[in-house]
Amino acid sequence: MTEYVIIGDGISGSSAAETLREEDPESSITVITDEGEPLYNRILIKEHAKGKLPEAPISIHDEGWYEERDIDLSLNTHVTGLDTDAKTIHTHEGADISYDKLLIATGGTPTQLPVDNSDADGIHHFWTFQDARKIRESADAADEGVIVGAGLLGIDFAAVCGAQGVEGKYLMRGDRWWRYALSNEGAEIMHEGMREKGVEPVFDSGVDHFETDDDGRVVAAVDPNGDRYECDFAGVAIGLTFNTEFLGDIGLEQENGILVDEYMQTNLEDVYAAGDITRFHDVLLGERAQNGSWGSAKEQGRVAGVNMAADDEAEGFQWVSSYSITHFDFPFLSFGHPTLGDDYAERKYSDTEWRRVAFKDGKIVGGVLIGDLSPQSKFKQLMREQRVVADQKEVLLEQTVDLDNLAPPQEQ
Amino acid sequence: MATSSTTSRSLTLRRVESVDAATTVQHVDQLDEETLEAFYRALEGGRSLAATGTDLELGTVVVATDYYRVEPR
Ligand SMILES: Cc1cc2nc3c(=O)[nH]c(=O)nc-3n(C[C@H](O)[C@H](O)[C@H](O)COP(=O)(O)OP(=O)(O)OC[C@H]3O[C@@H](n4cnc5c(N)ncnc54)[C@H](O)[C@@H]3O)c2cc1C
Repeated sequence: MTEYVIIGDGISGSSAAETLREEDPESSITVITDEGEPLYNRILIKEHAKGKLPEAPISIHDEGWYEERDIDLSLNTHVTGLDTDAKTIHTHEGADISYDKLLIATGGTPTQLPVDNSDADGIHHFWTFQDARKIRESADAADEGVIVGAGLLGIDFAAVCGAQGVEGKYLMRGDRWWRYALSNEGAEIMHEGMREKGVEPVFDSGVDHFETDDDGRVVAAVDPNGDRYECDFAGVAIGLTFNTEFLGDIGLEQENGILVDEYMQTNLEDVYAAGDITRFHDVLLGERAQNGSWGSAKEQGRVAGVNMAADDEAEGFQWVSSYSITHFDFPFLSFGHPTLGDDYAERKYSDTEWRRVAFKDGKIVGGVLIGDLSPQSKFKQLMREQRVVADQKEVLLEQTVDLDNLAPPQEQ
Repeated sequence: MATSSTTSRSLTLRRVESVDAATTVQHVDQLDEETLEAFYRALEGGRSLAATGTDLELGTVVVATDYYRVEPR
């Protein structure tokens, strides 16, 4: 009987456990998490923090789900070490757990700002359900907020401020939100969305340090220009630090994430990785890439489970990831790798509609759609077909994209 | 006449302000590509959603720019 051990009960770990049970009914499966609750919907906790969604619908599995599948779940258990020769993992309680095949699905932890008082009361990071509960309570009691981190996770804090009636200042380092994927025209639509929620973007800013009162509560953020922004709530979302500390020096190849091939195999025998933590071989892109999205993490967990159970390279991971922002009146969708590529095309259609398509070697590798998401599946189809289309930007920028207007694919 | 709403294969989306604890809720990023496409088409055109070919269950609330409940047409 094969013993599978999975570290992490996020969507990637949990999806691997489910797949393993289906593929290998006689096996022993252990899932270990340092969180105090089984899998919940990490992409809905922002709705709880906004004060809009009760707790119950955010839970995905209760402990009974694992019992029914004969999956051994250890909550509140932090894995502190791994010995690949002895094929055991160590936990903070001093227990050793042996495995035949191991999946590392430990994701990341929000990076703290390296500035004074960044751990003061009232300053929040956003990753777990527990974080969301605290953010909800803190924002509910707050009047003025400061947000740092001009990316996909920072905007959730802006939405929390908007929904909870907190007057927000969104301090950004450059001249716009998500400058790696959006030009000024696209970003301005997002800025306008923030303003409508009562959150003012502040450009060429950031945080030099926070000020606190005598009780250690945040009272202001001071930016590098010396401008002071009073606040009783702050949200920091400047990036993720991957949870690899416990791995120590075991020869596992890493590069700001764990390197895996398309089968989710690491360089070490019988050790797999899945989800946010991987830097995987993206077969569509033709190089290594990283995804930070729910759908991708779920699929990587499934693919890892299939290959672990098969003890073979049975199925490769091939996926176009997407990530939505749902906080404004207009929809927003980022797909694939919009910040990579060597060429792009973009157009603004109205005050709330904008599109960017990114290309590498003439093929679409990602993009951002604001306001009108209708071309998303056509662009994803072109990505999967790996068609060279960068020479036909006009067709891709038509308001209504008709793939029949593209020149037929060239024989390779 | 043999008509029954339970055999209807057509769904519609209704905007809701809030959800209770017993409701199943999905974020739009959980929908598979086909369902996502059908979901946005239904929203834009006020059209119905075919129940087959999508993974949306009756009563589920989908979180998009608003909350939308999947209801029988
Ligand atoms: C606020 C927020 C909003 C988001 N919004 C969206 C969105 O709208 N759309 C989208 O597609 N994606 C979104 N994401 C990203 C998405 O949630 C992640 O990509 C996905 O959940 C990653 O899943 P994972 O299983 O790889 O990692 P995680 O969900 O991070 O799970 C890893 C688990 O491993 C545990 N762990 C770590 N180290 C150890 C250890 N040593 N021992 C034991 N356990 C350990 C962690 O506590 C955690 O429970 C959002 C994320 C956040 C935080």
